[in-house]
Amino acid sequence: MNNATMPSRDIYITSSTGEDCYPTWDEALDALAKLPSEDVKSVRLIPGETGSISRGSNYYFDTHLMGLSGNGTEQDPWPDLAAAAADLAQDGAAAKNVTIEIKRRVIFTATRREDWKRIQQYIVQFIFFLMVMALVIPVVAILGYLFYKAMPALSYSFVFENPRDRMTAGGIWAPLAGTFFLVLISLLIAAPIGVFAGIYLNEYAKNNWLNRLIGLAVVNLAGVPSIVHALFGLGAFVLFANFGESLIAASATLAIMTLPVIITSTREALAAVPMSFREACWNMGATKWQTIRTIVLPNSISGILTGVILQVARAAGETAPILFTGAAFYLKVADKGAGYWFPYGLNDKVMALSMHLYTLMTQVNNAPEEIVYGTAVVLIGLVLAVNSLSIGLRVYLRSRKKW
Amino acid sequence: MPNSLSDGQADQKNPKPHREGSSFSIRGGLDALFDATEPIVEVLIRLCGWSAIVFVLAIFVFVFAQAFLDFDHSPPTTWNKIDPVEFFTSVKWRPDSSIKPTYGILALLAGTGAVTVLSMLFAVPLGLGAAVFVSEFCSPRVRESLKIIIELLAAIPSVVWGFIGVVAIGPIIIDLGLSPVGVNVFNASIILALMSVPVIVSVGEDALKAVPDSYREAAISLGASKWETVYRVLFPAAKNGLLAAVLLGVGRAIGETMAVLLAMGHAVQIPTSLFDPARTLTATIASELGEAARGSDHYHVLFVIGVVLFVIAFIINLLADFAVKGIKAGNE
Repeated sequence: MNNATMPSRDIYITSSTGEDCYPTWDEALDALAKLPSEDVKSVRLIPGETGSISRGSNYYFDTHLMGLSGNGTEQDPWPDLAAAAADLAQDGAAAKNVTIEIKRRVIFTATRREDWKRIQQYIVQFIFFLMVMALVIPVVAILGYLFYKAMPALSYSFVFENPRDRMTAGGIWAPLAGTFFLVLISLLIAAPIGVFAGIYLNEYAKNNWLNRLIGLAVVNLAGVPSIVHALFGLGAFVLFANFGESLIAASATLAIMTLPVIITSTREALAAVPMSFREACWNMGATKWQTIRTIVLPNSISGILTGVILQVARAAGETAPILFTGAAFYLKVADKGAGYWFPYGLNDKVMALSMHLYTLMTQVNNAPEEIVYGTAVVLIGLVLAVNSLSIGLRVYLRSRKKW
Repeated sequence: MPNSLSDGQADQKNPKPHREGSSFSIRGGLDALFDATEPIVEVLIRLCGWSAIVFVLAIFVFVFAQAFLDFDHSPPTTWNKIDPVEFFTSVKWRPDSSIKPTYGILALLAGTGAVTVLSMLFAVPLGLGAAVFVSEFCSPRVRESLKIIIELLAAIPSVVWGFIGVVAIGPIIIDLGLSPVGVNVFNASIILALMSVPVIVSVGEDALKAVPDSYREAAISLGASKWETVYRVLFPAAKNGLLAAVLLGVGRAIGETMAVLLAMGHAVQIPTSLFDPARTLTATIASELGEAARGSDHYHVLFVIGVVLFVIAFIINLLADFAVKGIKAGNE
């Protein structure tokens, strides 16, 4: 559309300097271009109907009212005022006898109450953030402090040497190996039972009173105080089963204590496998066990592993359950040979890292500070490393999950 | 019929590679073996499934048996020697007295009660606050990292917490001039609070997450700010789950042994100030069972305390479970 052929009419541009009137689009557009865009209050053509252009980040023009098509709709706004004006000129809006108003309009203005609410929100959010920091910072600081105090002791030989001179010198190999065997055997007991129990609860159990009772029992087993587990281990394994205070009795106690960890996470891992996987497999004529073995378990194995690793971390750190079921204050362990790598028989008492820390704190009066701190730091490091492994596995899994 | 014939011919023309065929048969053999064991495996799975009940019962039975049945001299039982009224109401815990040993657990109950209540005063606001922050106020990325940190917090072994109480918090209490002795109820409460916070956070966060998003959307479209949404809508909607979180935190605090054993001191007394040392039920068992002669009154009484602890833990877990079931039923 040629501007020159447009009928002459008045175009008003209202800005902070007042309202100006221009006879042609070209002059109006020139004037418009010189004005800062936020200064323009309205552009009006008269006479005609009113379409509205509201100002947000972009300009749009209600072409529905104008009977125009093309750009300038709410879905496809003009980037700035000049483009809007140019486009309007192109479309010959002027020829159609309409009034165009370009207005600055803020639709929702914050009231004072809303401002206060926003401030309140920030304050509350900050308080909650402080609460989280009140948890995180002291713990990080304390762990850092322990590590700092333990630095002089931490070395290769500290980990791989046996304690000497009534535990006031040497390293922590014997308790470390004891913890390893305690964890290993408790894992061998707890993992199969826990995984099968998880399979039962998720795949076989119907929603009846018996299985609700099982769920309740799992929750309660997790909630029984660790010292009561120790009493149970003493009564059941040490005395009743006549294992005596031994590696096997302590491991069995740990296994039962940590069983709920494995059951719960197995159940969750299995529940995460979509039902359609199972249905597809059943439709192929597979039995329940075939389905579990070939479809459900392979798809949830990593989740189950996460739980198993968590069990390891939990078992490695516990002291109370092994206190009366097999942990020893001090045992002489060979410094080399097979006796170094496999220091404890199933029926022997064992040293354990957590117990060793307790012993150093309460039974050994003159243990050098750095050995005590070193033991604590190795124990923390061990448990946190195992836990991080589990967390890492879970994060990795979530990133790979296909369904 | 001609079709099947031509199929057969096609198979003969393109026989499968030998290697694949043989591995398939081994695999098939294993499969057959596994399939044949299905009835056995199912029985095994069922047995393991029921094992949780068996273990809980076994714990109760064995601890109960050690407490009340005297295997050496039948039939006398502990109740004959211990007056249950004295047991629960006497503050005199003197198992070693050569004249007249008395076994009153009131002071121990008070120790457990004091440290639990005090630790919950720290842990409940912090834990629920952290749960709200993690669940409602932070970006997904921050949420993931905070959850990992809190999970690691939960992983620190209790004996290490006790160690921290003795070597880090104890000296701070002394330095601040709060008390001449570092190990006391206050110290143990801080430790227990830090230990039970992860439980409260994770259960509390689950409870908040269980509230349907439509509740949040409705609140926000009415013009509520996030905080108003939290305390006017989410708290009421998730109150059962939050209660369960607190209960599980309490359960953790009551059942904790090594940390309170190390960080709370050894005095058997009803604490009258924040900085009194005291002793809990759990710590008493842990510190005395090793010295109590097997079969002696002292030994049996420690198992009776075990029964008391078991019953307390059982009730708390039951209540927490009902609270959680409550939300689920409410949402359905």
